Amino acid sequence: MLHLAQRNLFQSRTKAVLAVGGVALAFMLIFSLDAVLAGLEGRIAGFIERTGADVWVAQSGVRNMHMASSTIPRAVVDQVRGIDGVAEAAPVRYLTNVMVKDDERYLAYVIGLPEGATMGIPMKIASGDAYPRPGEVVVDGALRQEGATVGDTVRILGSDFRIGGLAEGLASTLSSLAFIRLDDFDRLLGNATTTSYVLARVAPGVSADEVAARIEAAVPAVTASSTTRFAEQERKVVRDMSTEIAVIMNLAGFLIGLAVMALSIYTVTVSRLPEFGLLKALGASRRHCYGVVLGQAALTVALGFGVGLALTFAASLLAPLIDPLLYMQVTWPSVAKAAAISLVVAGLAAIAPIAQISAVDPAIVFRRKVA
Amino acid sequence: MNAPTLSVSHLTKRFGAAATEVVAVRDVSLEVAPGEVVLIMGPSGSGKTTLLLMLGALLRASEGEIRLDGEVLSALPERKLPSIRLRRFGFVFQDFNLLSALSALENVAIVAELAGVRSKDARARATTLLTELGLDRRLHFLPEKLSGGEKQRVAIARALANGPTFILADEPTANLDSKIGHEMMRLLRSIAKEQGRSIVIVSHDQRIKDIADRVLWLEDGQFKEATAMVVDPVCQMRTEQGAAVAAVWDGERFSFCSRGCRDEFLAAPYRFFADAEASGPHEAALREAVRREAALAGARK
Repeated sequence: MLHLAQRNLFQSRTKAVLAVGGVALAFMLIFSLDAVLAGLEGRIAGFIERTGADVWVAQSGVRNMHMASSTIPRAVVDQVRGIDGVAEAAPVRYLTNVMVKDDERYLAYVIGLPEGATMGIPMKIASGDAYPRPGEVVVDGALRQEGATVGDTVRILGSDFRIGGLAEGLASTLSSLAFIRLDDFDRLLGNATTTSYVLARVAPGVSADEVAARIEAAVPAVTASSTTRFAEQERKVVRDMSTEIAVIMNLAGFLIGLAVMALSIYTVTVSRLPEFGLLKALGASRRHCYGVVLGQAALTVALGFGVGLALTFAASLLAPLIDPLLYMQVTWPSVAKAAAISLVVAGLAAIAPIAQISAVDPAIVFRRKVA
Repeated sequence: MNAPTLSVSHLTKRFGAAATEVVAVRDVSLEVAPGEVVLIMGPSGSGKTTLLLMLGALLRASEGEIRLDGEVLSALPERKLPSIRLRRFGFVFQDFNLLSALSALENVAIVAELAGVRSKDARARATTLLTELGLDRRLHFLPEKLSGGEKQRVAIARALANGPTFILADEPTANLDSKIGHEMMRLLRSIAKEQGRSIVIVSHDQRIKDIADRVLWLEDGQFKEATAMVVDPVCQMRTEQGAAVAAVWDGERFSFCSRGCRDEFLAAPYRFFADAEASGPHEAALREAVRREAALAGARK
């Protein structure tokens, strides 16, 4: 029966292309939005994961960076260094602000790193240095896209900074990153006794979660998280912020896919109702006939799913060429979710045609030409 | 007559009720023997199609009984009828009614697949049937690429796919030209005679009388008369027995389509026996006559 479903579907190539194309675009909508959000999560959490730190110590109750503010005494750095299992600890100051270059404003996470920092520095440098010197800033590709090069000047927190290096792979459509010296950060904000976070590297063979627990037990008014947990929390914040958009867009994709599917399957089936009458007259059971319709729906959805996924992969490759900040990441959970949606779409799209077939009288074959 | 393949008794079909009631088929009884070809003729609206639908288990009778190979079809629940149609009946339609998206081979194979035959076996069976019907070069053609005669042969192969005991044909020559129509009729007759399948044909086509063993006239939902058919041993035409020209030779009665054929036969009877394909009660007598005539000819020499 699947054979007949396939032949019915592809007898008119134009109709088949329209049906599969419509479903593919609907799936692409679902996949793309998920990929953009996953890419955003990946980029924002990417900095945390690539700092080289194992534990993040923040103000009590703070478990991430995005949309969060943390202030702890800088003395905590020494307290953390003294805890068993900690190999290294360093302060990192952080602020969400804007960078201005040639009157263009860019939202940025401004990161203040101590001299000789081994944690929190940008891992991939396109040109220049990874370590900012005094009065210098290391920025991400967001500014490079605008033509910024090493030696140019940008304005941060009211002061001019020379671009000392250009990093890669850290900026997202949501924000960029700017690394300056901790001294400069302190000078700009006028307070050298506090820090935003303390980054800690644990000794070999020691669990980060275990060390985090020790820090929380030993240092008052701080929350310590392993980098894994800190990054996951960062992802969760981004996800929570985008959940409603994602739900709306997924629903839109679902409804578009359903409408296209239902219309195409209905059209294909209704145009062949006399043939279904013939099948019934020849002795096909209802199960056989319904199998053909479900087969058509399943084939259309499966092809639409595959084409939609392939188009999204292609788009994810092309996106950074169009906009370096646009990073799309297709994830297995997203594919699994779309697969589940596709089953529902196929089932719902087949309901109306099945009702039509159920009502067709097999005696129709003795009264009119069927094909 | 052997035990009938199909036995219909007192079949009636009513549509509507009370003042709007229409009796499409009225108290019809019929028996069809294995290998018999029965032609049902009648004017439009006489109830032919309604009767055909009931015989094919596509429409329930209001009254009466239909038996197929001893099984009472009219008593079976609705859910069992598709399986009966699939395995016991073959259908041949006026408009061929092939599935447009499938090739000739697939149109035949799908019926076997519906009956549970594995795809590979179904295709092999379809290939054999189509090859036997001379379509071995058209197996993978879509219906739109086939001629009318080829389409009808595919339809006949499809009707035979599950080895039915009974074939129902609705106006099978209506969309075929005279020559192809005649070929189809000969084909149906040979299927009936060689394979022992019973065939009921509903048609307006007078030429089909030639291949029918019996012609029934349906009018106002009732059979008005039944006509037995005989074969003219001279021209091989099938002729209504009542309208045939008769002659007695060597103690046997023979029927002819015309006086010309009768006179030609009586002038030299043995000339017509060797190629005679007549079947029925005269066949043994004819063969014996050929033997004696040949002996007489030898003695004269």
